[in-house]
Amino acid sequence: MKQTTKRVSAVLAASALAVSLTACGNSGDDSSNASSGSGGKVTIELAISKASQDSAFVDQDLLDQFEKETNIKVNLQLLPSEQITTVLQTKLAVGETPDIVQYNLASAVTDLNLERNFEILDDEPWVGRVVNKNVLSAHGHVYGFHVSQDTGMQGVVYNKDIFNELGLSVPKNYEEFIAASQKIKDAGITPIFMPFKDAWATNIWTSAALADYASKNDPTLFEDLNTNKKKWNEIPELETLIDQQYQLYKQGLTNADVLSDSYDMAVGKFLNKEVAMMFMGDWLIQDVETKDPNVHLGLFPVPYTDNVLMGASPLGGQLFIPKQAKHLAEAKKFLEFLGSKDVAQQIVTEQKYVSNFSDVTTPELPEYKQEIVDNYITPQKTVTTMEGYLQVDMSEMYRSFQDVYAGGKSAKEALDAWNTKFQQLMKDKGVEGF
Amino acid sequence: MKIYKRLYSYYMIWPALLIYCIFFVLPTIIGLFYSFTDWRLDRTEIHWNGWTNFKTIFSDSTLLLALKNTLIFAVVTVIGKNVIGIALAVALNMKLKSRNWLRAIFYSPSILSIMVISIVFTPMLRSDGSINKILEWFGLGSLSQAWLTDPAIVILTISFVSIWQTAGFQMAIYLAGLQSISKEYYEAATIDGAGSWKSFLNITLPLLLPAININVMLTLIGGLKVFSEVFVLTGGGPGNASQVVGTIILRSFGEGSWGLGTAVNTLLFVAVTIISIPLLMFMRRKEVSE
Repeated sequence: MKQTTKRVSAVLAASALAVSLTACGNSGDDSSNASSGSGGKVTIELAISKASQDSAFVDQDLLDQFEKETNIKVNLQLLPSEQITTVLQTKLAVGETPDIVQYNLASAVTDLNLERNFEILDDEPWVGRVVNKNVLSAHGHVYGFHVSQDTGMQGVVYNKDIFNELGLSVPKNYEEFIAASQKIKDAGITPIFMPFKDAWATNIWTSAALADYASKNDPTLFEDLNTNKKKWNEIPELETLIDQQYQLYKQGLTNADVLSDSYDMAVGKFLNKEVAMMFMGDWLIQDVETKDPNVHLGLFPVPYTDNVLMGASPLGGQLFIPKQAKHLAEAKKFLEFLGSKDVAQQIVTEQKYVSNFSDVTTPELPEYKQEIVDNYITPQKTVTTMEGYLQVDMSEMYRSFQDVYAGGKSAKEALDAWNTKFQQLMKDKGVEGF
Repeated sequence: MKIYKRLYSYYMIWPALLIYCIFFVLPTIIGLFYSFTDWRLDRTEIHWNGWTNFKTIFSDSTLLLALKNTLIFAVVTVIGKNVIGIALAVALNMKLKSRNWLRAIFYSPSILSIMVISIVFTPMLRSDGSINKILEWFGLGSLSQAWLTDPAIVILTISFVSIWQTAGFQMAIYLAGLQSISKEYYEAATIDGAGSWKSFLNITLPLLLPAININVMLTLIGGLKVFSEVFVLTGGGPGNASQVVGTIILRSFGEGSWGLGTAVNTLLFVAVTIISIPLLMFMRRKEVSE
């Protein structure tokens, strides 16, 4: 007996060691010591997710130039992308904040409590030159900094080459869209790629379409939802939208196994010309065209009815200054530096951004982007997508949409489930009316 | 024995005890406190709110589903890992030439990262994946399933992946147990005319009980605390079909409901304690000594 126990524990200990050795691959180290060194040199901390480490704002040459001009050093805190929200929430909660944070505006409202934790930038010198303040604002104030006003457009990404070969034109409504999809299917190509293993991808169609519907037919829709005057399961049009998207799958116009396919497969599918269309943002086009410039993709608005506006996602990758920043003045100086005419022009030109400063000119854009600018941004035929109006985490809604495809729920039931969750989230958040 | 006592005084326990208290006991107690509050991302003040969080848990259908899934996962994996673990151990305790190789092979999945396993298994488990194709080759096409996307079976699929991964680990513990059983018992049994099944039931199993106890406890606690398998294979989906308590805790924190998240965590802690301590005591009593 004794021997058994001994052996057992020896093996156990050895295996536990082996497991623990293989298991701990990540060490989250963030030494956040913003200390001012000798000679009046100040170091400010800028927190950014690892996925965004190529962001134009943290280009090393720019940071060096800034240090030379102002004697302020910018130290980068690279946070793991999947943990950045939690890490920042914790840092903000305990007051150990970085001086500048790169994040995206809409998520900052839902995840980071923008109003309580971040500085209002209305009075900064660069704000006067901003063309489109909306993309940087929440609750009526400018909170974020960015040199671009192109927020990323959401609609239907389509392969122009396939459309040309089959003699198709851009569908203008749902019936035309079905007809075009059918023709593509007859040609042996999967018409629509739905990567619905990623729950958020289920929402591109509904998010852009509902925003368009609301802007034309029910301008107070989102306000009513946010004040509990209207409930999510009391919008028959939204049910129709969910069902429209589901019917595409039902009629076999999509990839067969929508719940197994994920977003990271999309670029490959477009490069191989396996698929012709996808409900997604124009960032996908950029990803595909950098890999192969010979593939020509374009974007058209979600064709749920006639004359739809292009969905504009809330802008991502802005810089924010936490209220509790230790070097508030220096952090603001950094934004001023990035927003100065020369530096902003340099960034805009290099990154091919659509400039958001009146004295900075937009460079020549890639073809697809120029089309979007000419056809939608300049004539103001865009509408901010659903996420831009809501204050709580939406992932549970996307999960309800997944349930429709998993065979369980009708559109109505999905919205019932989401409505219950939404009520709970808004109540927990302490919003009036819930 | 006396020399040992003089060499190592009981004070040596203090550093370890201190670390254990700071990093385990204290957070657990603090967590217990927070689970009765409305601690949230967007609140500056934290208020006591009694049993509200727990009422929320038991009125939320997703959370109930997660509890159900966790139980299914725990039961299926405890049975699967231990039955297969014992079978492997008994088989590889025989005098086979290749047994060291085979032991290494069966053990190896348990040192792989669950990420790697997910990357290998996800394509295999698609409805057009290799598992369904193999079934079709054998004329068993009717058995093919949407393994990871059918809400009715997804939690079972995840359980099987988990069994595949760690049955070899259980095997190693059982092997150690088997090797400490004296050969004499089996010889005596053979002389008495007992077949191999009878000697397994009457000699191997009772003398293996200490190892079985350890393994059942390990797999049960591991099963109730399941997180990574679900997170990497389905993320709790499709919809919420494969949510377990572990992923629900993550979701609650993601939604900013920190108090609720801690409450779910406390519930898990209490459930694990309530289930495992009586079970441990029960099984200890059944142990026999040689």
